[in-house]
Amino acid sequence: MAKVYIDNDTLVIEIEGLDKLWALKSRLEIPLPNVRGATADAGVTREPKGIRAPGAHLPGVITAGTFHIDGERIFWDVRDPAKAVVIELRDERYARLIVQVADPRATVDLVEHAITRSAT
Amino acid sequence: MGRPRAFDETEVIRAAVSLFACRAYDGISVDDLVTHLGVHRNSLYKVFGSKRGLYLAALRWHLEHQVRPLLAKVTAAPDPIRALRNMFVAGTANPDMDLLLLAMVERAPVDPEVAEEVARTMRGFDAAIDLALGDGAAAADDAPSPLAYALSAAILGLRLRTRTGVDAAGAGTVLFDRIHQPQP
Repeated sequence: MAKVYIDNDTLVIEIEGLDKLWALKSRLEIPLPNVRGATADAGVTREPKGIRAPGAHLPGVITAGTFHIDGERIFWDVRDPAKAVVIELRDERYARLIVQVADPRATVDLVEHAITRSAT
Repeated sequence: MGRPRAFDETEVIRAAVSLFACRAYDGISVDDLVTHLGVHRNSLYKVFGSKRGLYLAALRWHLEHQVRPLLAKVTAAPDPIRALRNMFVAGTANPDMDLLLLAMVERAPVDPEVAEEVARTMRGFDAAIDLALGDGAAAADDAPSPLAYALSAAILGLRLRTRTGVDAAGAGTVLFDRIHQPQP
């Protein structure tokens, strides 16, 4: 599970609880101009994940850590697919972040509003 | 380096226009988009950034390629009032503006970028109607005449009622002819 919030012009993703261990990461900070959008996507966990390096992948239980697919680096932290949010980035180490949040709709609104504001 | 895009972006956007024009935004999942648009999920994110990014691209395409050409035809017609009547309110008229309608109801109130796109198009709508009504002074100004505003609202409303299957045949032309009676 991840906590997603905006701190000034930065999108902060905090990995909570034991997922920190599996994902091998506790916090990601992305400048808002590098955030392209956020989408609630309950079906994303059924997609091929690619090669895990490093992290934990127990199909059906947890997907956490860094995965490589189609030449892209993707950060995952999802246990419950219904609460997955996809955050697309540009010019960052990760092409996208796929994280589980408490309220996907609220997170999507938060991110989309923040990037609309920062673009104007 | 990622894989090259294996799809035609415009084709995908056109398919998205049809999908977004007939279903509620929140009712369309990314699974639906992947299925209906025939695009890989990763490519969808890579190209459009998010579902909202795709929606904005679809809305802009719809307004640019489907709605504005209708208005351009009205303003360029030798008889603009007749063109307006034929294209928007006659029984045979079937103006393609369903995504615009849905955007006005659903997304514009909650999304400032959608609101801006819709407002811009409606300004064009009002201006075209003002021109058709022969009130050039109002068209030159930013503010539409009250009659143009009311008429564009009526045109959109008629389209909404037609969508629900209510047979409104003739309603538009009756209204239109009332408003635009030939001057004696």
